[in-house]
Formats: sequence, structure tokens, C-alpha cells
Amino acid sequence: MANVEVESLTRVFETRSRRVLALDNVNLEVEKGEVFGLLGPNGAGKTTLIRILTTLLLPTSGRAVVGGFDVVKEAKKVRGIIGFSSSSERVGFDFVTARRNLWFFSQLYGVPKSEADRRIEELASLLEFQDQLDRKLYMLTTGYKQRLNLARALINDPTVVFFDEPTNGMDVFSAKKVRELFVREARVNSRTVFLATHNMFEAEEICDRVAIIDRGRILAVDTPENLKLTLDKPVVMLETDVAGASVGDPRTLDGVVGGTVKLDSESETANIRVILRDEDYLDKVVTLLERRGVKVLGYQRLEPTLEDVFISKVGAGFAERERSLEV
Amino acid sequence: MRSSVALWLRVAFSRAMIRVLATYGDPLWIVVNVGGPLLTSIALAFLYKFAGIPQFTGFAILGGGIAAYWGNVLWSMAAQLNWDKRSGMLYLYISSPAPLTALLVGMSLGGILGTLPSSLTVLIIGTLLFNPPFSPPTLALALIFMLTLLALYGMGIALSSLYLILGREAEEVNEALYEPVSFLSGIYFPSIGRASPLPLAIQAVASLIPLTIGMDALRRAVFFSEGVGELWPSLLTLAVMAQASIILGLKALNYVERRGRVTGDILVALR
Ligand SMILES: Nc1ncnc2c1ncn2[C@@H]1O[C@H](COP(=O)(O)OP(=O)(O)O)[C@@H](O)[C@H]1O
Ligand SMILES: [Mg+2]
Repeated sequence: MANVEVESLTRVFETRSRRVLALDNVNLEVEKGEVFGLLGPNGAGKTTLIRILTTLLLPTSGRAVVGGFDVVKEAKKVRGIIGFSSSSERVGFDFVTARRNLWFFSQLYGVPKSEADRRIEELASLLEFQDQLDRKLYMLTTGYKQRLNLARALINDPTVVFFDEPTNGMDVFSAKKVRELFVREARVNSRTVFLATHNMFEAEEICDRVAIIDRGRILAVDTPENLKLTLDKPVVMLETDVAGASVGDPRTLDGVVGGTVKLDSESETANIRVILRDEDYLDKVVTLLERRGVKVLGYQRLEPTLEDVFISKVGAGFAERERSLEV
Repeated sequence: MRSSVALWLRVAFSRAMIRVLATYGDPLWIVVNVGGPLLTSIALAFLYKFAGIPQFTGFAILGGGIAAYWGNVLWSMAAQLNWDKRSGMLYLYISSPAPLTALLVGMSLGGILGTLPSSLTVLIIGTLLFNPPFSPPTLALALIFMLTLLALYGMGIALSSLYLILGREAEEVNEALYEPVSFLSGIYFPSIGRASPLPLAIQAVASLIPLTIGMDALRRAVFFSEGVGELWPSLLTLAVMAQASIILGLKALNYVERRGRVTGDILVALR
């Protein structure tokens, strides 16, 4: 049985100045024990979907079921079986110890004291902050606070746990620990881990399946391997002189499905990453670039990443997509 | 039903506990909160004494003892949801099964326990210095206390919801209202009744605030030994006010949650 079911879900935000279609007919199913990733650039609609699934926001139309309960009609039941954490909420109360804070959050779910004590110890040992449990929150380092926040999300033994950009602003070591925890929670405790991220590496590394989302629409859902396999087009990285940085949208080059342009100011070169319709277009692209006054210093065929899958569908990368939303 | 009552109590208790722990974990806060009302009470009591109305000194001491309570019930409750929203806690509260009323009431109860040192200090030092003629506690006193508390809880919850909808500016309104409402409700002097120095029209406005009725009745019970027999009109008024404000508070809270889930920006701060 699926733990998260989303059917034709649409959400529109109407403010005085504009109307935003944040989710556009989204359909998803996430199984028990699965680490599921929602991958997309900022503004794609990830947070909106999580807010609907955690009963904080109503859908405009469509339906969503979490752990067998409808998020609109049975919101109270949904709230009892979910956990949630993002990188933006406050971790707890500064003048109270980490242990007391966790106890407080367990009480929001009515967890009995002995059970709460046991879970606090267990989570603290999994996330390696036992020695911090009896310190007041304001004395903890950012890394420990972030771990505490994750422990908080799991304190009620949730069936489905939602993480919205959980490793944002985390140091590399903590982020690694956290990713291991997600996988463990899915495998060992059969939880559904629902993760929103714009970090391709993270999605690729730990997610059983990934949904790629852009402007409120799910473009593809599959395992990271399959997503990359379905991209049967060559990905090529062209290294050029700085003139390359100003070629504009790579799609204006014949045979290019989509791509990204990055200036490397240190080495005074530009990297143009393109997805080609097929191999034969490579020479043509090089010629076209040279004709525009761009000197191609070298090129290299690359293994596709999840961002390439995204680029092949929308024509542009995450960064370009985010910039286009900022108007 | 039984389990939802149990959850309500658990949540209120734990929120109160956290508030108490946080209060006593921050010594500076205690000093500030003991100091303020104590100085005000003593200054006023001296003033009353030398102005030739020594019977008012007791009012000043009682007022100082009670000021922190009502500040907690009404004002900190009113600002609470906005504060929770900004800190991201409101999201956690809403996405959990914990009832918001339990969180608000618990927070406020914890605040009351946290201001105990302040109240006791004022009452003890004030009594030692001025020896006002307190009557022993009665049933009437207990009833006044309870009903005033309930009425203020209802108002606190209603204001909290209102301020959440109105947003940040509302907090400035809250702060701007603090002094005039404190004055009108007569914490340190009788603002209604025969001994009130205020014109009748202002007394009428003041009477709309449950705290005014509560303070007036409290003084009469404490200093003039009036019982339920004499105080029943005040008790009845407080009971009606309590019921009305609690119904209003719960309606407002429900409205906010529903409205928040529609608009998307009431319950969570946008980045
Ligand atoms: N409460 C809101 N009111 C108006 N627009 C909103 C609101 N919340 C989100 N949006 C808009 O909806 C779109 C999706 O946002 P969001 O779900 O936060 O994306 P993501 O989490 O993927 O970055 C964005 O264009 C954003 O500006
Ligand atoms: Mg987001």
C-alpha cells in the first residue's frame, strides 16, 4: 500500500498583484519504506507540496492521502502519524536543555514519558549528540542544533516523515550523517522518507526514486538510474575562452536540446554544458561557436546527471530557471 | 474524546513546564520582572500614604502583586502566535495533533508560575512596609480570580488570532494599548465605582474590560470583606464576559487556521 498518494493535485496562490500556479495537476505514489526525492529548482513548488501533505495548506483541487488518511478531511489523523523538518524553523527553546526540548515535542503527540525517554536516547545516539542532551539549546553549535531538529522530526515514530531542504547550510560531515539516517529510517524502521531538495547529488545518492519538478509540474518519476538511462542523448562539456560566457541560451545553437553556461573567472574560461540531439551535432556546435568569436579549447563527453535529465526536459538548468522566476 | 482531553492536558502541562524552565533558566529576566512591579507598587503606596489616602496603599500593593499575572494572561498570549509564526514553531504546532488552545493556555499558566517570585516579593515587601488591612481569602475571592482569569484567557486567544491575521503592525498596536488599558482597568487604583477619579463615560468604557470588573471586585473582597452576597453582580458580569470571550477566542482560532490553510501566508512566514 502506498503511504503517500497524490491525485491531480493543483494549488493556486492568489495575491493582490499576481496569480501563481504553484502545483499543476501533480500525481504521485510513494511506498512504505521508500526514500523519495522531490527534485527541482527554487520556486518549483516543492515546499507547497510538502505543506499540503503536512496539512498546513489546502489544495485548490485534487486529492492527497498520507498514511491512508485524506489531508483535508482527516487532517487531525494525518498530523498524528507524520514528522516534519526543514532548515528554516526554530529548533526549540533556548533556555531549556536539548532533552527537555525533545520531551516537549514528544508531548505534542501525546507520547508516554517512558517511551519518549527511550526515543530521545535512541535518536541522540543515532545522530551522535548524547553528550549534548543536557546542555541548554543556546549553548549548542549549529551542527548539533540541526541534528536535534532531525531528532525532533522523528520523535513521534512517524509513518511518513517530510524533510524540506534538510541539509541546506549544513557542514559536509553533518549532511553525510543525516543522509545516512534517512536511508536507515526507511530501511530499518520502514518509514516513508519524503525529501524535497534542489541538490542533485543528494537526490542521486540516497533516493530510491526521484520526481523531477518544475513550475509545479512533475516532469518525470523514476529511480535515478532509470532517469539517466532514459536520457539517451550525449552530454558534452565544452571548455572555451571567456567569450563563451556571453553566448546566451545554448539552445540558439543548432542541435542543442538544452544547456548551461558557467564562467570560471579564476582560470578565465567558460564551461558550456550541452545536451545534443545526437553525436553528429558536436562538430557543428563547435563551428557555430567559433563563428560567434568563441574559442573552443577542448571538449569532453560526460556521464549524464539528474540535472541533465532536467535540462533535457525544460531546456535550461536549475540556475537559469531560478533566475527566470525572479522577474 | 477521552484521549483528546488527555492530549490537551499533556500539551498544556508540557508547554507550561517549558515556560517555567525557560524563565528560571534566565536569571536576568527574573530580576527585571521582580524589579518593575515592586518599584511601581512601593512608589505608589508612598504616594497614597503622603497624599493623605492611606486606605489606597493596599490597592497599590495588591495591584503590584497582580500586574504580572494579567500581563502574562493577556499580553504575552496575544503576541504569542505571531511570535511562534516568526520562529517557525507555529508550523510545527499546526502539523502536529496538539491543540493550539492547550499551547496558549499552557504558555500562559507557565508564565504565571514564572511570575510567582515577582508577585510574592511585591506582596511580602509591600505588606511589611505598609501593613495594609487584608481580609482572609473567601469563596468570593476564589471565584473572582477564576472568572477573571477565564475571561482574560478568552480575550488573549481572540487577540492572538486577530494579531496573527493582521500581522506585524498589530504587535505595535498591542504594545500601544498596554499602558492605556492597564490604566483604565485600574490595577493600582479604583477606576470604576464611587472612589474612581474618572468621569462616568470613561468608567463605562473601562467596564468593558473584564480586568476592570475583576480588579474592582478583588479590592472589595480583599479590603472590605465583601462576599458573594454583595459581589454577585460583578461575578455574574465576569461569568458572562468569560463565556463570551472564550467562545469568541475559540471561533477566532478556528477561523485563523482555516483561513491560513487557504491563503498560505498566515501560518508560515514567507521567505
Ligand atoms: N503563500 C504564498 N503566496 C503566494 N505565492 C506563493 C506562496 N507560497 C509559495 N508561493 C509561490 O509558489 C511557487 C512555488 O513555491 P515553493 O513551493 O516555495 O517552491 P520551492 O519550495 O520548490 O522553492 C513560487 O512561485 C512561490 O513564489
Ligand atoms: Mg522550498
